[in-house]
Amino acid sequence: MIDLIFRRPIFLLAIVVMAQVMLLAYQIKGDHDVRLIRYWAVALITPIERVGTWSTSKVGGAWSGYVGLHNARSENNNMHAELDELRIRNRELESRAAEAGRLEAILKFRDEHPEAQMLAAQVIGSSADPTSHTLFINRGDRDRLRVNLSVITSEGIVGKIVEVLPNTSQVLLINDKDSGVGAMFAGSRTHGVVKGSGDPEPHMEYVVNDEKVTPGEAIVTSGEDHIFPKDLPIGTVLAANPGNPFQIIRVQTAARLDRLEDVIVLLGQQQLTPLKSAATADANPSAPEKSTAAPQN
Amino acid sequence: MLNMSEHSDRNIEVHKFYNGAIFAVCVLALVFQAFLHKYGRWSELIDLPLLVTIYFGFSRRNPISGMFLGGVIGIAQDALSHDNPIGMYGIAKTIVGYTASSIGGRIDTEHPVSRFGLIFVFFHFHQAILVITQRVLLNHSARFFSWQQLVDSLVTAAFGVLLFALLDRLRRSS
Repeated sequence: MIDLIFRRPIFLLAIVVMAQVMLLAYQIKGDHDVRLIRYWAVALITPIERVGTWSTSKVGGAWSGYVGLHNARSENNNMHAELDELRIRNRELESRAAEAGRLEAILKFRDEHPEAQMLAAQVIGSSADPTSHTLFINRGDRDRLRVNLSVITSEGIVGKIVEVLPNTSQVLLINDKDSGVGAMFAGSRTHGVVKGSGDPEPHMEYVVNDEKVTPGEAIVTSGEDHIFPKDLPIGTVLAANPGNPFQIIRVQTAARLDRLEDVIVLLGQQQLTPLKSAATADANPSAPEKSTAAPQN
Repeated sequence: MLNMSEHSDRNIEVHKFYNGAIFAVCVLALVFQAFLHKYGRWSELIDLPLLVTIYFGFSRRNPISGMFLGGVIGIAQDALSHDNPIGMYGIAKTIVGYTASSIGGRIDTEHPVSRFGLIFVFFHFHQAILVITQRVLLNHSARFFSWQQLVDSLVTAAFGVLLFALLDRLRRSS
């Protein structure tokens, strides 16, 4: 019989298949489970699976650790680069915010003086000579600028145009030693001339020693130079000392001459309504009226 | 148990393997099949236990050893599936193992193209036995063919060609 089975293996196949069919029928019919076979199979396979899972986890962890370490340096470099980029970007934004503030002030000034013809300009450079207080703006002959037009900011006057090129103009600042501006005290209306001295602060000259001048007193344009309209703020008195024959009065300019970026060019010399800063300075109680008292030391 | 080539009445080339190689490969096939299920659908495309059954059937070329090897692998696969009744894969792989061993000595099973075609055919043969078993014995509604099965069979055949070339290295030179 056994010999027949091995000579004709198809019989053995039929027996093995039939055995499994009966095993299946046993499980289905009686709702039995062959737990022993499952137990053996699981007992055989799961330890190997556990080792595989452990190995995979360890190898994966080691690999990800290695890759993470490898990437950490380049990631660090990338983050530094990104930080630098963000710092530059931040500076750009701060610069734009400041520019927006300046432009807003110019716009406000323009709104407050609708009667004045004016042109906004950007400062594009300054003089290479340290003793010369001049700067260049990005407007020129093509923008209908000409010599002796006044240049101001919303805070006060800056200077006048002394040279006009097709696309740029040179501005002589009021603290240049060659500059002179017809001026008067806002309160007392006493006249004088604000002239550059070579120092950062200009001086107000031709004010007699008898004139009472107090620090903080506002100085505005008088309009007598036929360049600057009347009553534009020039600055305030920084210090006043008696001199021979006139007082020596140092002036703190209203416009920040060392930090100019955007300016206004007045295209005419018509009278402007007084600016707020001048009005504020007028409120200085130390100069309500023209005084003949001696200047303070 | 598996070395039964002396019972064959035909003068055919029978490949022998290093000691324990067949057992180790079968266990690893079952382990990988169970293990890789955790890593997504792609592992279901390939039926590793079926490939091992076919390969050793081709190589040993003994229907009895092929039948038993297929039966053991199939029953182990049933046992590990947790929801299949024991014998479903067992019957299918018993018949596949027997058939693969029977034709292994008659046609060329060494050429990659031949292997690809045979694996493809055996995949669907195995599937057909499973479906018949499910329909007749378990009263389940199973389909004989689906496009997904076609894709699975092509992927399994392609992978099988590579796997068979790898397993050829386990053969002991006579």
